[in-house]
Amino acid sequence: MNTAVRPIHSGQAPTDPVVAPDPHVLRAVLSNAAYFRYWRACAAMGPVFLAAFLICWGALGHNIPPIPADHTAAQMGEFFRTHYNEVRAGMAGAMLFGVLYLPWTLSITKVMEWINPRENNIVTTLQMWGGGLTVVPLVTSSVFWLTGSYRPDVLSDITLQMLYDQGWLLIDMFYAITTIPMVAIGVAGLADQRARPLFPRWACWYSIWAGISFLFELLMPFFKSGLFARQGWLNFWVEFLVWFIYILVITYYVFKAIPRLEQERAALLSKA
Amino acid sequence: MNDVAQAQGSESAAPIIRSGQVPGVLVFIIADMIVFCMLFVGFMTERMGQTALFDQSAATLDVRMGVFNTLILVTSGLCVVLAVHAAHAGRREATRRWLLVSFLIGAGFGVTKLLEYSAKIELGITMHTNDFYMFYYALTGAHFLHFIGGMIALAVLWFMVGREPLDGRLAGLVESGALYWHMVDLLWIFIFPMLYLLGPR
Repeated sequence: MNTAVRPIHSGQAPTDPVVAPDPHVLRAVLSNAAYFRYWRACAAMGPVFLAAFLICWGALGHNIPPIPADHTAAQMGEFFRTHYNEVRAGMAGAMLFGVLYLPWTLSITKVMEWINPRENNIVTTLQMWGGGLTVVPLVTSSVFWLTGSYRPDVLSDITLQMLYDQGWLLIDMFYAITTIPMVAIGVAGLADQRARPLFPRWACWYSIWAGISFLFELLMPFFKSGLFARQGWLNFWVEFLVWFIYILVITYYVFKAIPRLEQERAALLSKA
Repeated sequence: MNDVAQAQGSESAAPIIRSGQVPGVLVFIIADMIVFCMLFVGFMTERMGQTALFDQSAATLDVRMGVFNTLILVTSGLCVVLAVHAAHAGRREATRRWLLVSFLIGAGFGVTKLLEYSAKIELGITMHTNDFYMFYYALTGAHFLHFIGGMIALAVLWFMVGREPLDGRLAGLVESGALYWHMVDLLWIFIFPMLYLLGPR
């Protein structure tokens, strides 16, 4: 908590003004080296996640592009019975590397804490929770595809089709949990009062736009072909590309922000 | 303090400089326009393959309603330009007044679109009727969501101008909101002829 409030006994009004302590980011308890330890490692998890996810979920899992929603159950059954080992390996990898989205999110949170350290941390907290919870659809959707590849020889075509659909419906339709941190980063970044903000304004607006652009996924359950279907050029190629670019852009500016914050904090420590 | 006095005050004080918010919001607008352009290309490509169906479906749309909506958005856009001018001149009351007028005129677009949607749905016309109506609902629906966002932005700016000092930062925000509102106009100016006017009637 940011505020330490003196206990108020019943029937007795506080006489002293409530004094909010400095936010923890400004406390000079830790040396700079200790304070910034692991920040870069966490930030690097973003590109690592992206590369691994593209290989495991995308290439091995045959999700780039996805199997079209208008394919028949028999075609889906044939896919699983032919490629079950690749899908198993891909989804196991996706579940392993998918969680790297969490440390990457935390590195952004740490930078955001410095944007306006004397204001409340609602937006920063939303970013942390939203980014952290993004792991859920990434990992859970992989379970459905993994289940399909686990016993494809005994599962019916319809069941395999349902599992594949369920995986895609989850990863596409849970977009809003990813929209929250994207909008939060943009909103917080735009409030940065520095002459040269930690996240440049164009990156903030891109982040907000990218998060909101996921709204097109709302139409995904209504179509099995065309631009709004899961394999459609808009709801797959554009939306996923927009998300991948967002990851790279934000990672770049987190790496640019860390040395600047080290200097800012060092200056604060020298004054203390 | 009246508008004139505020303007005089602003002239004697440091001039309101444009903040860095305007170039930033252009990224949002350009990215949005790129996606809409892709949708327009998608529409035209589909249209080339099903010209008769698209012409026949387009003929069922009410052109007068489309023209009326165009006039609403352009007029509302003009008012928001006047709000930006007032904001950069430091005239608080005029800025609020033009933002309010822009909002009220713009609200007419929402009313007519909802009437148009309800008329189509009553006739059983949905996104699944044919590819033309898929694009009709997708394009106008996505545009409508942008319109709602613009209305919220105008309302928020109206409150902010009433409560905060009209400095360069706030004037920059008003200009950013105005740019967004113009994007809503501009998108409609493409959507209207593509959906309502293309093909023989």
